[in-house]
Amino acid sequence: MEKAGIPVAQVTAMTAVAKAVGSNRIVRGQGIVNLLGDSDLPPEEEREIRKQIVRQALEALATDPAQSDP
Amino acid sequence: MTLTLANHPITEFFAGPKTLLDGSRLQVDLEELRRYLLEDQRLESVDLEIVRPGDPCRVGYVFDIVEPRAKETGAGPDFPGILSPIAAAGQGTTHVLRGTAVAVVDGGQPGGERGYTSRRGGVAKILEMSGPPSQASSFGDLRHLVVVPHPHPEVARHSVLNALRLASVKASVYLARTAQGKTPDSTQVFDLDGSDYDGRKGLPRVAYIGQVHGHQHGTEVDEHILYGGNARGMLPVPLHPNEWLDGAVVVSYSWGARGLDTYFHQNHPIILDLYRLHDSKEITFAGVVATTSSGQLDELNRNCMVAAQIVKHTFKADGVIITKYAGGAPHSDMFETARLCEDLGIKTAIMVSDTAPDRRAESAALMNIPGVDAVVNVSEAADISWPAPAVETVIAGNPEVETLLADLTELPGVSVCGVTNNQGASRLQSIIY
Amino acid sequence: MRVVHYLNQFFGGIGGEEQAGIPPEIRPGAVGPGRLLEQVLGDGSHVVTTIICGDNYAAENVQEVTAMVTQQVKEAQAELLVAGPCFQAGRYGTAAGAVCAAVQEDLSIPVITAMAGENPGVDLYRESIYIVDSGDDVSRMRDVLADMARLANKLAGQGVIGRPADEGYFSQGKLRSEFVENTAARRLTGMLLSKMRGEAFEAEVPIKSIEPVPAPPPVPDMSRATVAIVTDGGLVPKGNPDQIPRAFAQVWGAYSIEGMDSLQAGEYEVAHGGYDNRPVEQDPHRLVPVDVLRQMERDGLVGKLHPEFLSTTGNSNPLENSRRMGREMAARLIEAGVDSVILTST
Repeated sequence: MEKAGIPVAQVTAMTAVAKAVGSNRIVRGQGIVNLLGDSDLPPEEEREIRKQIVRQALEALATDPAQSDP
Repeated sequence: MTLTLANHPITEFFAGPKTLLDGSRLQVDLEELRRYLLEDQRLESVDLEIVRPGDPCRVGYVFDIVEPRAKETGAGPDFPGILSPIAAAGQGTTHVLRGTAVAVVDGGQPGGERGYTSRRGGVAKILEMSGPPSQASSFGDLRHLVVVPHPHPEVARHSVLNALRLASVKASVYLARTAQGKTPDSTQVFDLDGSDYDGRKGLPRVAYIGQVHGHQHGTEVDEHILYGGNARGMLPVPLHPNEWLDGAVVVSYSWGARGLDTYFHQNHPIILDLYRLHDSKEITFAGVVATTSSGQLDELNRNCMVAAQIVKHTFKADGVIITKYAGGAPHSDMFETARLCEDLGIKTAIMVSDTAPDRRAESAALMNIPGVDAVVNVSEAADISWPAPAVETVIAGNPEVETLLADLTELPGVSVCGVTNNQGASRLQSIIY
Repeated sequence: MRVVHYLNQFFGGIGGEEQAGIPPEIRPGAVGPGRLLEQVLGDGSHVVTTIICGDNYAAENVQEVTAMVTQQVKEAQAELLVAGPCFQAGRYGTAAGAVCAAVQEDLSIPVITAMAGENPGVDLYRESIYIVDSGDDVSRMRDVLADMARLANKLAGQGVIGRPADEGYFSQGKLRSEFVENTAARRLTGMLLSKMRGEAFEAEVPIKSIEPVPAPPPVPDMSRATVAIVTDGGLVPKGNPDQIPRAFAQVWGAYSIEGMDSLQAGEYEVAHGGYDNRPVEQDPHRLVPVDVLRQMERDGLVGKLHPEFLSTTGNSNPLENSRRMGREMAARLIEAGVDSVILTST
């Protein structure tokens, strides 16, 4: 998708793999099983975590990765 | 810590009126064993059958394969944390019935495809006793006691799995107790004491880090992995290699997931080879670390860091072998641990597994980390299969699977127990042409 | 064996760089290295036709030259095409690779060429044809031809082709499972000891990096941008309408979220065998965050949430297949006017 020119924010818990395949905008997810949440938390807190991760993804999309610290 | 394996090679294994070991002839009273296994109230019935190399027989789906072993009376615990109270494994005499195994079959969740095949990411494993697949398997030349526990229908799935685990170790110990007090055919002594003396000055120190579970698949609350614990939140733990060999570790429930068997924890090929090199004074075997692969980044980084620190500062190792649990995700943890070890000046060798369905080398090359360049590639048999040998007997956990196994025309390599293995036992290598 | 031999103007004895523009010439019988080739191929093999073409001409008229060579090979009823050896000559190597690949594809007869590792023809054609490693020393002509002849005879059905290092050809990047003498444990300890002693050892996987992709420029204003959710975690509507498999997926799906504020548990399932699916099946937002993105759309943080999410399974997926699915997804998203993607990967 990046080759086609679409900026992609990749949310993943396996950041090393994302780096290895050349992903440019990597956002840390919570975990493999609960990528954007945490089934051990109450729903409101979980949603807050999700919001934060998505917000980071949006910020990554609006940022030049060369200028940011991964 | 000294462990003595008392080896009793078995040449005949048959059912009879009394359970006893007579030289290399093992007779088992199946009724007595059945009563013992049915003491577990979760089980409604248990099928027991003995299968031998060359029998036109197919068994599935296999939950785990365990070598029959029992401690000499008073020598210590059998499978501590599962069968015995917690106590250190790895010392004293353990009797081993060589050439035999206990193969436990999972009947799965009634009506649920996910019960015995895919939910935990594993592969529905088949034990094949005849033809080319059996020759390609580490288990084809063993005499197996096949145990098929049938739980009551209302028992929860995690509890069923727990019952299968309990049955596997109970049957193993039950059989091997016949050897207590008997003179073994041979003994093997495992001892690292005096590692720092005894003409070992200057020998390279080598350690082993092995993943005993992959948390991308979760664990059940009552799952046994290490000393009976379910490994949730587990930090890397330094062990004496004898503990690993002597019942402290059993495989988690991921269905012998593409080549993990308790049999090869008991006969861990890497630990045994490091012992060989230790005894021949090519290296000093510095110790082992049990760890898990994590589904969470912080946990991954923490575990990898701690494992590398143990190997560096506790074991003072110069070299380390690192292996992963089955599946793709655990590669991340293994590579990161290797990277950290190399950064600390410890030379590494690691073992990846290859599932590339397109059989292209580029699909097997994922990570390129400076220094992490000693990589063994175990094939997960994506391009290996055999015409299914004709069988007379199918032993299965339920009628649905029985029909399925009986009708098979092709046996994919990945489905046959003991063809591929993530503990170092496999001879199946992915070679780049 | 009837052999057709392809040479450039230099090895064909016509001339140097000044003759690089000549179109293909057809000569009956062997020319130059072709005579040696006949010797090393052994009794019963002879070069029936030699085609000599200028390097520049071949580079500028690839299709014409490959079609012409294919025709000649067919007419000669050849059983083997040999091109080169080309050593370091880049245009020659590229042309040799092209004619070999074309003849193999169209006529299904054995083809063989030889080049030095740095010849650009190697990377272009090593995966489809056998290219013998010639090195860059032209004085090794006879040895190189002997290696080519040995491999060609095997390709023609007289023996099993061994590993690249043993046979002297460039790896084709294919994986083959084989039962070997030593267990993985033994290979691990052996490799580690070699490494610790500073001795040579060879990794059993290719150690190389994936080529980087330049980062697309950032989205200037997210509040005016359309963002799509793509996942390789395998979320699909209940019943898995596209039958996306739990591993090795060759297909992906696009699923409408138009007008939805959230994804209902029970209406979705996960087709991915690589992780415990239960938490996502209990709450699909743990993988596909429609709930918070819809809210952010309302709050004006993003311009628009694209009305469908794309999904496939990343579990054990070969790179080439992932690339194809990525291209297909990109095409669909671009056509729909999507200008940014949140990709959730498990």
